[in-house]
Amino acid sequence: MLNFLIYIAVAIFVLVLLAKFVKYSTMPIHLRWEIYPVPHDPGHEHGGSYYEGVSWWAKPRLKTLAGELKEMLMEMLFIKRVFTYKRPLWWLTYPFHTGIYLILVWFVLLFISALIDIFAIGILKMPVYYLTLVVGSIAIILLLIFSLALFIRRVSDWELRSYSSFLDYFNLIFIFAVVLTGALAWQKDFDFTIAKDYMKALITFSSPPTVSLETQIHIALLSLLLIYLPFTKMTHFLTKWFTYHKILWEDEPVIGSEMEEKLKKYLTGFKVKWSAPHVDPNLNWAEEASRCDLAGKCEVKL
Amino acid sequence: MRERIAIQDIAKKEEQLVKITLEDLIKLPPPYDKPGMEPNVTEPKPEWNQNYVTELDGYVAIDIPWKPKNKEEEEAMVQKFINGLKKLMDKEANWTFLQPLLLSLEYCARCQTCSDACHVYISSGRKEIYRPTYRAEILRRLIKKISSGGNFKTKFLGDVDLNAKTILRLAECAYRCNICRRCAQYCPLGLDNGLITREIRKLFAQEFGVAPQALHAQGTVKHLTTGSSTGLTPDGLKDMIEFFEEEIKEKTGKNIKIPVDEKGSDILLIHNAGEFLSWPENVEAFAIIFEEAGLDWTLSSEMVGYDAVNYGVWYDDVQLSRIALKHAEIARKLDVNRIVVGECGHAHKAITVVADRVLVGEYQIPRESCLPILWDIVRTKKLNLDPNKNDFPVTLHDPCNVVRLMGIVEPQRKILKEICPKFREMKPNGVYNYCCGGGSGFAIMTSMNFPEFRNKVSSRMKFKQILDAFQDNISPEVKKYVCAPCSNCKGAIRDILSHYNATANCGIHYGGLVELIVNAMVDIEQPYIEMF
Ligand code: SF4
Ligand code: SF4
Repeated sequence: MLNFLIYIAVAIFVLVLLAKFVKYSTMPIHLRWEIYPVPHDPGHEHGGSYYEGVSWWAKPRLKTLAGELKEMLMEMLFIKRVFTYKRPLWWLTYPFHTGIYLILVWFVLLFISALIDIFAIGILKMPVYYLTLVVGSIAIILLLIFSLALFIRRVSDWELRSYSSFLDYFNLIFIFAVVLTGALAWQKDFDFTIAKDYMKALITFSSPPTVSLETQIHIALLSLLLIYLPFTKMTHFLTKWFTYHKILWEDEPVIGSEMEEKLKKYLTGFKVKWSAPHVDPNLNWAEEASRCDLAGKCEVKL
Repeated sequence: MRERIAIQDIAKKEEQLVKITLEDLIKLPPPYDKPGMEPNVTEPKPEWNQNYVTELDGYVAIDIPWKPKNKEEEEAMVQKFINGLKKLMDKEANWTFLQPLLLSLEYCARCQTCSDACHVYISSGRKEIYRPTYRAEILRRLIKKISSGGNFKTKFLGDVDLNAKTILRLAECAYRCNICRRCAQYCPLGLDNGLITREIRKLFAQEFGVAPQALHAQGTVKHLTTGSSTGLTPDGLKDMIEFFEEEIKEKTGKNIKIPVDEKGSDILLIHNAGEFLSWPENVEAFAIIFEEAGLDWTLSSEMVGYDAVNYGVWYDDVQLSRIALKHAEIARKLDVNRIVVGECGHAHKAITVVADRVLVGEYQIPRESCLPILWDIVRTKKLNLDPNKNDFPVTLHDPCNVVRLMGIVEPQRKILKEICPKFREMKPNGVYNYCCGGGSGFAIMTSMNFPEFRNKVSSRMKFKQILDAFQDNISPEVKKYVCAPCSNCKGAIRDILSHYNATANCGIHYGGLVELIVNAMVDIEQPYIEMF
């Protein structure tokens, strides 16, 4: 029964995330709205762009992947912007996010240990065993302390409280509950052997080991979190990819790109729909922009 | 006093939500650290309240009477607003910004990291209604409310009442942000509260037809119908050109013929038409430099073609597209290779960046900034320049639209380092600059008491930066120059200097970049820049 819930949870998690990804990637190309520094521009150190050179369109456009990777990793691994601009919050949010990363690493390690067992790769057994132990312990402690700390800060700081909704608190409490039950389960399985056996059972579709009540509650809650999470804004790890890569760092000019056909479709296929006096809601964007006799005497045609 | 304004208050409170006081504003450096150095804040006239929204902070940006007079009108307003919200979320009606809008609405962690980026919020003494997330949070809650049908779900997501008060205050509040997008640089999730401001403005403009007159009726509409938002007509332009040529002759002894409507030129140079009227020396300096450097260029005298502004970029996608297309059409008819934008920041961004994706096919004519061209001219020594002629302290203001939002950072600095021996930077600068406070239309919005908001609050950080940059030489005897290569920034800085009487008190003057280049030209005897 519990196994079934886990499979369902993982499936829902993956599918909903995928659906979100598809939703955002299939939205129309938006007008350009980047912000500098754009880290793939060779001039990014000083915030520069290809517009700094004369006749930019006549030159090959250079991009540095390294610049982009560095900026991405700084944000992903160190939460650079909060570190730079809101240090007091960083001391709480950074350990919390580190806890999340570590717990993910821990799951991967469990998975690897299970495989090691299944395929009897003796030589890797002990190193992975200790690594799992260390990573798992640190992760649980970090998450336990800092999910609570973030909750307390959200309640006690007026600046955060007055903007927070019930769900903001609920999310933190939910995570805290999952971690707390996890920590209790850990007391019964200090070196994660049962956890590993459980993972083995999941991989091999066999029946899981008997686990404590705490563990059962933990597994149930964790599965519910997995189901709940993709529907919430906690999926910002995914959408961040869009905000940075597809908006703030997206500096692709129409000249020399392949987007023109799509743009023409929007311009001639999409109705403007707005109803202010200077807009005719029944026209498409191209007609609206070129037949602007509601506000002026444009004669241009597209 | 720092009022604690809750999100709900926008819909509930009868009285003005916040009040600006001198005590709350950020402190200024000497000599403005002493009391009595700046004018006090004024009260809105009581009768304004009849027609205009003074219930936010007492200032009025939207200077058209649009308050509902009775219950029916209020209900109609709410319904119209709901229609507008739906269109913001619509793939066709808002294809232009749907993806960035949805992401910024859905994923805010309410961590408030962005607040410390905002010069309006900080300068005001951290008044809640100017916080970058304030208007965003209201829009977010209203959209959730509408899309969930106003059911119990809104209680969990955070609620705000939707009534006429909310709508009126939200519209005013959308004109308390310069859309400088500095806050978006701070956001760990890459969200953009400046964009949300613009989306709110769009809703009111595109659905209600409501926007400050300076932007809409006297802005884009006038631009498209008379040729320029300044009201300058093609005939008027031609007269001015003659006057410019005479003035160049008088000031520099040079015989320069300003090319107009010359088909097949390499460059179509478009200025902000405000320059023609307020700062002709800028237009003249461009003519001197381009002619001396031997560029093949022309101005256009066709309607719209001699005014680079595109106020649509601040509040309306339809007007943005119309003006951009018109500019492209004029360039196409003149058969030029490229459009070059003069010293006007928002026009830079509008035509090169934001409107890029509404120009397709034959309208996709290359567009670029004047700044790299000017640096090229200085770098390759096409002009004989003597930096000692600019022997006064100079600092540089970075127009957000050119720098943070377009990535043109170095050319203007390289020029100044080359020709101004006493050049010093403001802090912070470059892509992390602060807005002049005139951004997103504020510089040209002069109705009622709005200039007071600009001078006291939105431009205050810039004034502080200017004073800080000149602290080593702050006495009025030393003439100093703030270089602002952007018409609207110049307008805002002109107003700051006059509001705080800083030219008399500190000897601070302002102007563009090309004036400094011409001022350094060896063969011009009289100083081109006059500071008195
Ligand atoms: S865009 Fe600029 S003015 Fe507007 S909220 Fe952000 S930082 Fe403040
Ligand atoms: S920094 Fe970003 S996530 Fe944090 S409150 Fe501001 S917009 Fe929201």
